[in-house]
Amino acid sequence: MREVIYLKTNNETGCGLCDATWGKYYKDIDGDNMVFCCSICADIFEEMVRRVKENTGWKSIDYVELHGNYSRGRECTARNGDDTFSYYFRTYSDGKFITFEKR
Amino acid sequence: MKCPVCLEKVQSYHSMASHFLSEDEKSDPGHVMFLNRYISRNRIEQEQLSDNLERFFHMDNGFRNWIIRTFVNRFFGDSPHPFILENQHPKPYIIRGYAMEHHHFLWQWVRSCSYIIGNSDNDDVVQYEIENITSEWYGTNDSPSHHELLLRMGEAYGLNRKDILNSIPLPATESAKEFWSYACKNLSWQEGMSAMHSLELIANRKVLEYGGKFGYFDPSVMKSSEIREEAKEFLKEGYLADVSHSERALIIIERHSDLEMLQNCQAVFMKSIEYFYDYLLARIERGYILENKQ
Ligand SMILES: [Zn+2]
Ligand SMILES: [Zn+2]
Repeated sequence: MREVIYLKTNNETGCGLCDATWGKYYKDIDGDNMVFCCSICADIFEEMVRRVKENTGWKSIDYVELHGNYSRGRECTARNGDDTFSYYFRTYSDGKFITFEKR
Repeated sequence: MKCPVCLEKVQSYHSMASHFLSEDEKSDPGHVMFLNRYISRNRIEQEQLSDNLERFFHMDNGFRNWIIRTFVNRFFGDSPHPFILENQHPKPYIIRGYAMEHHHFLWQWVRSCSYIIGNSDNDDVVQYEIENITSEWYGTNDSPSHHELLLRMGEAYGLNRKDILNSIPLPATESAKEFWSYACKNLSWQEGMSAMHSLELIANRKVLEYGGKFGYFDPSVMKSSEIREEAKEFLKEGYLADVSHSERALIIIERHSDLEMLQNCQAVFMKSIEYFYDYLLARIERGYILENKQ
């Protein structure tokens, strides 16, 4: 039997990245069918997850707390069990990353 | 009027709202992002969306005022553009990134201004753009061009003139150049001017009077030794020149357009500032790239 792990964020009403309730774009993130407002937010989230795992060596992420917006960039904390990882990132409007740094 | 995202013609704010809702059905990134950033983060229905779009585009105090207000909100508002924050007290890496990426901007700039001349039937426009091309790219016997001052600034910070001239623009700069080329070549001169000259507001000293939280840079850098003379010369030039300059263009547009044309100009302006936003980020990215190389 396989345990299904759901990646949750503090964005509970809308898009997993920006919390907007426009659009409805699904993408499989770590086996969880997450909903985003558009393909760009989905791609950013996927790349963010990849970078968090690359930095931490984690196999999965339980929860991500995101603050900020497109202009300010996003201050985040990811959690895996008792471990946490804080970081900041900023992208272009097409989703390409400019910065991703540990905070 | 036109859709501010894809420039498709629409008949009214009601049909603009329907258009946005049908793009929302497809989760189209450009349209969804516009709604998120400018209208509402939460989904609203047709009637309200139509009202909100109309309110957003309504020119209470004329076209020029609307452009200035929208621009200032976008770049100098509650979430100022990251380049603006960095440029308050610019570090060498930002100045290098600025010098290299802006070369490509100016290269496109003079071409866009030339397309505008070609599309216009108005002597004010021709004179305005020729003055512009001269001061930005060629200069006169008395004063070097803005482009020349840019290259000197880059050199003062360790870049090679040839390296700047031979560099390839970053993707965000390239896409912006393509849009500005397309817009000025294929759209009316009024729309072309709205796309380009609104951008000069970035260095307008009156931004603070217009409600901006910051200016283009902290004026104290001009009096201190934190930046080199060449950087002061470059920044000063834009700072002084662009004050009445960008506004004069907006006045020319307003004088020679009917409401329908001004609404089209609003749409093209909205699209242009999205490209400009990313282009300013490219200055930062270029700064990072040059820093890591050294
Ligand atoms: Zn989103
Ligand atoms: Zn559209």
